[in-house]
Amino acid sequence: MLKALIEKEIRDIIGSTKFVITFAVCVLLVFLSFYVGAGNFKTSQAQYEAAKAQNLRQYEGLTDWFNVQSTRIFLPPQPAAVIVSGVSNDIGRTVEVQGRGDLAAEDSKYSDEPLFAAFRFLDLEFLFQMVLALFAILLGYDAISGEKERGTLRLTFANSVPRATFIVGKLIGSAAAMIVPLVTALAAASLLLPALGVPMSGSDWARLGLVIFVGILYLTAILALSIVASAFTHRSSTSFLLLLVIWVGSVMIIPRTAVLVAGRAVDVPSLDDINTQKSKFAAQMFAEDAEKMNSFKPKVSENIDSMMKEVNEFMGGLADERDRKRREFGGRLDEQRRNRQQVQERLAFGLARISPATSLSLALSSISGTSLSLKDRYNENALSYQKAFADFQTEKLGAPVGGRMIRMGRPADDKEKPKPIDLSAIPVFDFAPETLSRSVGEASLDIGLLVLFNLLLFGGAFAAFLRYDLR
Amino acid sequence: MLGTLINKELKGILLSPKFAVSFGLCSILILLSVFIGIQEYKSSVTQFQTAQQLTDQQLRETAGWMRLATKAYREPSPMQIFVSGLSYDIGRFSPVNAFSSVRLTGSTYSEDTIFALFRIIDFAFIVQVVLSLFAILFTFDAVCGEREDGTLRLVFASAVPRAKYLVAKCVGAWLGLVIPIAIPILVSMLLLFVYSIPFAGGDWLRLGGLLGASLLYFSFFIVLGVLLSTLTRRPSVSFLFGLVCWVLAVLIIPRAAATVAGQIVQVPTVAEIEGMRDGYSTNRMNSFNEEFSKNWEKWAQEDHAAERERDSADDQNRMWTRMQAHDSARKVVQQEIDQYAARLDEGLRQKKKAQMRLALSLARFSPAADYQLAAMTLAGSDILMKDNYEEAIGAFRTQVMDLRDKKMAEAGPGQGGGIMVSISSESGIQISAPKAKPLDLSGFPEFVRPRISAGQALSSVVVDSGLLLLGLILAFGGAFAAFLRYDVR
Repeated sequence: MLKALIEKEIRDIIGSTKFVITFAVCVLLVFLSFYVGAGNFKTSQAQYEAAKAQNLRQYEGLTDWFNVQSTRIFLPPQPAAVIVSGVSNDIGRTVEVQGRGDLAAEDSKYSDEPLFAAFRFLDLEFLFQMVLALFAILLGYDAISGEKERGTLRLTFANSVPRATFIVGKLIGSAAAMIVPLVTALAAASLLLPALGVPMSGSDWARLGLVIFVGILYLTAILALSIVASAFTHRSSTSFLLLLVIWVGSVMIIPRTAVLVAGRAVDVPSLDDINTQKSKFAAQMFAEDAEKMNSFKPKVSENIDSMMKEVNEFMGGLADERDRKRREFGGRLDEQRRNRQQVQERLAFGLARISPATSLSLALSSISGTSLSLKDRYNENALSYQKAFADFQTEKLGAPVGGRMIRMGRPADDKEKPKPIDLSAIPVFDFAPETLSRSVGEASLDIGLLVLFNLLLFGGAFAAFLRYDLR
Repeated sequence: MLGTLINKELKGILLSPKFAVSFGLCSILILLSVFIGIQEYKSSVTQFQTAQQLTDQQLRETAGWMRLATKAYREPSPMQIFVSGLSYDIGRFSPVNAFSSVRLTGSTYSEDTIFALFRIIDFAFIVQVVLSLFAILFTFDAVCGEREDGTLRLVFASAVPRAKYLVAKCVGAWLGLVIPIAIPILVSMLLLFVYSIPFAGGDWLRLGGLLGASLLYFSFFIVLGVLLSTLTRRPSVSFLFGLVCWVLAVLIIPRAAATVAGQIVQVPTVAEIEGMRDGYSTNRMNSFNEEFSKNWEKWAQEDHAAERERDSADDQNRMWTRMQAHDSARKVVQQEIDQYAARLDEGLRQKKKAQMRLALSLARFSPAADYQLAAMTLAGSDILMKDNYEEAIGAFRTQVMDLRDKKMAEAGPGQGGGIMVSISSESGIQISAPKAKPLDLSGFPEFVRPRISAGQALSSVVVDSGLLLLGLILAFGGAFAAFLRYDVR
């Protein structure tokens, strides 16, 4: 009996014009999204390579490592970020690294190219959250009330069909009719990525698979919600309106409002303030050191080279000490800010998670490694690169240079032409993305919430239908 | 007769349960968005003022003209309450100093990334996404719904001209939807007074323009729904088409257009351009230093040959002229570098312009994109905002740097604030670091933000509003033509 009901449901849905049209649009969009995503990846990859090459080219032909005072590192484009862009376009991608001093990531994609900020990208998160959710609503909004309007509900229950079996059949049938074609389309479209030259590693495939899985979880929750709505109303137009309101609320209103409320409730010290404090501190340190510099007396000796060496060592020592103190001071401020931000994030997400759309966004961005933690991660990577770069400068020059430092020295007496420096010796920045297991761990809460939404809504549909007035 | 028909249509809309629900939702949304907008505006004004105070203070405490570094901040505009546009995506300030070029950095979204996750909700977004959807929801069954109910045949059993009937449908739906929405909009304007937002005359003009564009856009979707209802026989089908049109126009075409244009016209990143600039600068400076060191060697030889006495007043003067010669030669090279950087920037800007033109002409097929572009332009938070600001800050930087050069020249050698290391045979090596003393900031230029008058803003949205109007006329004409041939049975 259940089997017959499920089969009828699937036939009903797949045979309808509604399904054919909406599904065709969805498939088109899914393919478009992957196609455009692959193109985007290649564009960003080319930009990334060009920027990297240009960074090295600026030092070509130099003969003295002293002229390499800084180097730029870039956040490489990730294949997973093509699928779900998260905040990867909002955070700064370029960091100018010196052996000493603060690091700041600048040039986010959106501030670099405001055109894209105006229209944004067509990624899978957007498709699932907005477009495919509408598709799911369209499939489910008249599941019960529509049959009642057409009169087929009474006919069905003229036979000895248990209500429980009927609603289970509805739920399973409509879910199957949605999931199977959609997953097929998504899987087929995924093949576009390697075909268009996006290098997908094993973990990228796993991430993509998880993204699709979580997306489907969200869609089944929306489908179940639609069936609940159709089991609470007696006219399909009413249930559709109700669902549309819920959709607008949960996709567009709740997440945005929650973040803004949290922004009001939790004060985060502004970056301007912190930067001013830092530069004041630096100025103060420099003023103190200026005293020391003015009263500096090297041991007078005939050998000017040894005197210069002494000056360089003295100045280097002061700069090191200043740098250490500044780091300590700035690090404290940064940490305070980061802590407040985390409180703000927790509050914002806690509020926003009432809406399954939030859980979807958070889970998808975590899985693709483009969640808020990407910024911290990039920063950590940049810091450890700075260390490597400082070590490299120490090896070549005896001390980390930077900050428009001066150096005392005399041209070598031998007139031999100096050899150009070997640029490949500069340490290479290698961005290590979050490991797959940690990404999944980060997403687990939201995946759990989506599962919970599913259970609740399926249960709700079941309970609502048992009390439904069939006439 | 027309009056009766419109009246009937109005009643049909106003009395339906869906009207109450959607009107309530839209009102809440509009008021919420304006309320949030006001709060965000106020906090960005506070942030802007604090930042400026801090910068001023820092400027006063700078130790010497050589180390002069300041920042120019983008000023929040009250129109961002209604249209946030790109205000949060584009950097809030640009450094102004001798060592880096002008570039807006530190966007709100990159600093407080949490807001980037879900973005901001503003009036323009609600009109673009929510109101358009509700417009379709109210008119998709205008004609075919009546056919299905059988009332269409009844109506045309009387002597009702078709043209009048259709006009009444459109006008009735329009009145029934526009007038109620006007209520929360008016209330939200009252909020501006309640929170005493400094809305100048130009801002009211801009707001008027925004409301006009919103009206055109909203009307387009109302008429589009009527058009679809005259093209189909069953409301379920016309609704489906309406939804597909909406998804394409609002969600897909603008995004796809930007990405496609991004792939057709490829633009190098700012980082790449900076790499090129730095490479040129380093090479040019190095070769200059190499060349000029020959001069110093020559002079040293001359001094040696003439057996001139060191540290005499004569020697000091000679040194000073030589240093000045060095400095002016260095300035010429610096100018060359600046020119090269300007050429690079210009090239980048041209490419970006080409990309933007392509993207916009593709995106403008969608009325939602037309509306969005018009709204952003009116609010002054459009794609060109960045260039406008950077240009103005560039002019400001030139003024500041000129002043700096002048002051440094006045102060003479060693007083600019840099570290001096001098070597002499008597005292050995001596380092002299500057003592912090407040700068005399008289005559320091003030940064004036780029001003685009309301009139200019209004005239630059002519294309987009024209396209919206064209869409509206086409949809109405289409509905008219289709309905004249409609089978009312």
